[in-house]
Amino acid sequence: MNPITPIINGLKITLSHMFKKPITLQYPDERPKVASRFRGLHALNVSHNKAKCVACYLCPTVCPAKCITVEAAEDANHDKYAAKYEIDMLRCIFCGYCVEACPVDAVRMTTTFELANYRREDFVFGKERLLEKK
Amino acid sequence: MVNLTIDDKQVTAPKTATIYEAAKLNGINIPILCHDSKLKPFGACRMCLVEVEQMKGRQIPACTTPVTEGMIIRTSTPDIVKARKMVLELLLLNHPIDCPVCDKGGDCDLQNLTYEYQVSANRFTDEKFQHEIDYNNPLIERDMNRCVLCGKCARICDEVVSFGALTFIDRGIETKIGCEFEGALNCEFCGSCVSVCPVGSLLARPFKFKARFWALTKQKSVCGYCGTGCNLTLGVQDNKVLTTIYDAEQGFHKGLLCARGRFGYQFINNDKRLTKPMVRKDGALREASWDEALQFVAGRLKGGNVAALSTARLTNEEFVLFKDLMKLAGSASYDHSAGYAHSALTKGLSRSFGVAASTATILDIQKSDLLLVIKTDAYETHPVVGFEINQAVKNKGVKLSILSDKRGKLGKLPGAKTLVHAPGTEIALLNAITKVILDEKLTAGTAASVAGFAELERALSDFTPEAVAGQTGIDAASIVQFARDYASAEKALIIFPTGLAYPGHNADLASAAANLAILTGKLGTEGSGVLCMAEKNNSQGAVDMGFYPANGGKDAGQILEDCASGSVKTLFVAGENPLVSYPDRSKVSAALDKVDCLIVSDLFLSETAAMADVVLPACSFAEKEGTFTSVDRRVQYFKPAIKKVGLSKSDFEIFSVLINLLGGQAPASPAAAFADIAASAPGYAGMSYAKLGEEGAFAPVDVKPALVAPAVVRPTVEQGKLALLVGSVLYHCGTLSQYGEGPMYVCPEGYVEISRADAAAHKVSEGDLLTVTSSTGSTQLKARISPRLPAGVVFAPYHFEAAQVNTIWSGAAVTWVTVGK
Ligand code: SF4
Ligand code: SF4
Ligand code: SF4
Ligand code: SF4
Ligand code: SF4
Ligand code: FES
Repeated sequence: MNPITPIINGLKITLSHMFKKPITLQYPDERPKVASRFRGLHALNVSHNKAKCVACYLCPTVCPAKCITVEAAEDANHDKYAAKYEIDMLRCIFCGYCVEACPVDAVRMTTTFELANYRREDFVFGKERLLEKK
Repeated sequence: MVNLTIDDKQVTAPKTATIYEAAKLNGINIPILCHDSKLKPFGACRMCLVEVEQMKGRQIPACTTPVTEGMIIRTSTPDIVKARKMVLELLLLNHPIDCPVCDKGGDCDLQNLTYEYQVSANRFTDEKFQHEIDYNNPLIERDMNRCVLCGKCARICDEVVSFGALTFIDRGIETKIGCEFEGALNCEFCGSCVSVCPVGSLLARPFKFKARFWALTKQKSVCGYCGTGCNLTLGVQDNKVLTTIYDAEQGFHKGLLCARGRFGYQFINNDKRLTKPMVRKDGALREASWDEALQFVAGRLKGGNVAALSTARLTNEEFVLFKDLMKLAGSASYDHSAGYAHSALTKGLSRSFGVAASTATILDIQKSDLLLVIKTDAYETHPVVGFEINQAVKNKGVKLSILSDKRGKLGKLPGAKTLVHAPGTEIALLNAITKVILDEKLTAGTAASVAGFAELERALSDFTPEAVAGQTGIDAASIVQFARDYASAEKALIIFPTGLAYPGHNADLASAAANLAILTGKLGTEGSGVLCMAEKNNSQGAVDMGFYPANGGKDAGQILEDCASGSVKTLFVAGENPLVSYPDRSKVSAALDKVDCLIVSDLFLSETAAMADVVLPACSFAEKEGTFTSVDRRVQYFKPAIKKVGLSKSDFEIFSVLINLLGGQAPASPAAAFADIAASAPGYAGMSYAKLGEEGAFAPVDVKPALVAPAVVRPTVEQGKLALLVGSVLYHCGTLSQYGEGPMYVCPEGYVEISRADAAAHKVSEGDLLTVTSSTGSTQLKARISPRLPAGVVFAPYHFEAAQVNTIWSGAAVTWVTVGK
């Protein structure tokens, strides 16, 4: 074969692409639509105006990355609630075990995936930041 | 032994065993819910069903059925598994499934069995219970909705604790566990019921919602309060001791603890713990570096005229180092409270038995025929020993004779005989009992050949029951009967507590008790002897390590006098709070004021520490390693459960540095120090940390009996005044328990207990603030009216800083006081 031919063929492909519509997502001008089962940032579900979490410590127990901190306390009705609920997103591997472990459906994962930040502290999501926004 | 077959395995078991016990002995596990090895068989839950071939395949409970020769037993046939599943289904009918919020989750027998038997659905339906939950109590929460009616709580409270606070109420489907008249729980808060409850019905409130069971690190340790030497398991998370965990197999007491062992651990994590050394500058204590503080201390110790006082809560290793440090500082004056208040042990038993230790062990209690308890406080000072006495009397039919200046809980046990004597006359009373034994020839054959026999006979000539009766307030016939009871029992054990606040419990009391045992030959055999119970967790260790005055050294009382007179310039106080716990507060405070330099190492800024020139933050038993020796000379090793709080150091480290600064050579580690102890302390030979293991080891006692005539001081009686007894209250031990939340919930402040008759005479009602005045001072205490005190006698516990009982308590055998509003 003429040694030039393969080069010409290659250039043809390159050239043809110059006139085609790009198929990559033009982030951040364009945003992806993720599936509803996507495992992004966590949220604490709310019921009767408070977090559903009963501080059973199952999610911190099951979490393979050991990134959840729960501290329980007793409320005025002597019931248990999570006085502290914190996830360190720098450690989370988005496995979703926490969601599966929860016996009361108090934690879920949202489609929020843009979690970049400048300071390490900002990756720690406390109860306020995790509570489901209605 | 009988032979039987369990699950096709040929095994043997003792004749008295139940099927459950036989299986367990042979490593076969039968599930149980309502059974506990400390309790009598009950057979309520039917979890332990097994099939016995000879019983035509009927299913019978293993926990209540005794074994017989040739039994053929199957523990897990498909039918049995089916039956057990049904038991669980029935239990789960009413039991709420609130495991996620129940503190018992992860440690719950019902949960574990449900998982094991895979009960994931229920064929039956019924409503859940709707009992009101009892949140009223700061220590124990009762949620009867979760109760499986195993009855363990009611049974342990009755059979072991002997309080009987809980019982079954109502019948049939309405049955529940409650207190009398469905009232609130008001008991001695030992927590035994909480520990045996297989589900989350009874919960320890201080631990409520603190952590999950599986997340706790469990560290075995030894209780840091009294001398019983109970083992406990600390539940630790994030370097904090969050709870004590029940382990039914632990220690001679099988996991039982008293209120302070179970609920008094919080002092370890108390916010008030000292975390940095402090040195006094310009009149105020200011933070300093360890280096600065220790250099300063070493400088003062080098200056001479030094003395030391220590708590009896240091480890054996620390006592040895402290002694070495004092030697380097050129002083022989060091004492712990045992040398001061426990002369019963150091002087009394040494001269009577030739060794400063008890001849009996706690294990002898249940093996005896008769227990002679001097002062019923034996229950209040050493509650788990009290449990042993309860069980001995109730389960083994052991007879109980009590000599005391007030009534107590032990006196309520079945068949217990109590002689309530006038305060300060216990030695005269014991002498009279001894005289009866001599006169009626109830002595053992060898008694006459024991050294001192003739002298004793002569010395006791005046102590006829009739002569003593008037003085003690007990009639002669009772004294004679007491003597006969004791002498005629085949095995008899004398038990008495000693402690800082027991002025009458001195060397002579110990000798008076020892005489009884020696004369009747109730010594050196199982179930007999004398058990002298020193107050704190390592009082006996302090004695064994020789940390008490000998060879010309001064005792604590003399040391304080020398401080006041100026001949002691530097006083090193380790962990003790003499300002509160020693008698005659004004004397102590004058002495501490006078010394040039007061060095205090402690966990807290106690009243004594607040007066110090240097305060060294020490760490608790949970943060160090070492050995404690219990009242019956069981040497037990423990290791740290948490890292040291703040910059605190163990007394071992503190003394080591100081020894090196003074030019000496400290042992490299506690283990090395213990090797030295094993080489030198009598009875400790051959011990090492590794050999002590979890069980500990008894240091043997070699007794050389001698009869010693005890000196009797006849207490002066001051007409129109009341006799003040000082002592321990059940929930507290020394001044340390003031920093434990549990004891402080139940018994938060000092008080004065007064008899009904005196209360009426002085028009006192419960809770009135009384001014109690003695020759040394006066203080205000709340009144508690109690039926257990005889007229003319009042009692006040000594533990509280705020109550200042030692302003009125002079240290004399009997303190006479007046009370007024
Ligand atoms: S997603 Fe996985 S790693 Fe992340 S918090 Fe949940 S359990 Fe932990
Ligand atoms: S598993 Fe659910 S209820 Fe339990 S702590 Fe986590 S979020 Fe809360
Ligand atoms: S805490 Fe002790 S005394 Fe009180 S009910 Fe329970 S077992 Fe009985
Ligand atoms: S409260 Fe607990 S120990 Fe008592 S009967 Fe109920 S389940 Fe048993
Ligand atoms: S009896 Fe003494 S050693 Fe035992 S738990 Fe109570 S305080 Fe601790
Ligand atoms: S354990 Fe045998 S019947 Fe409950």
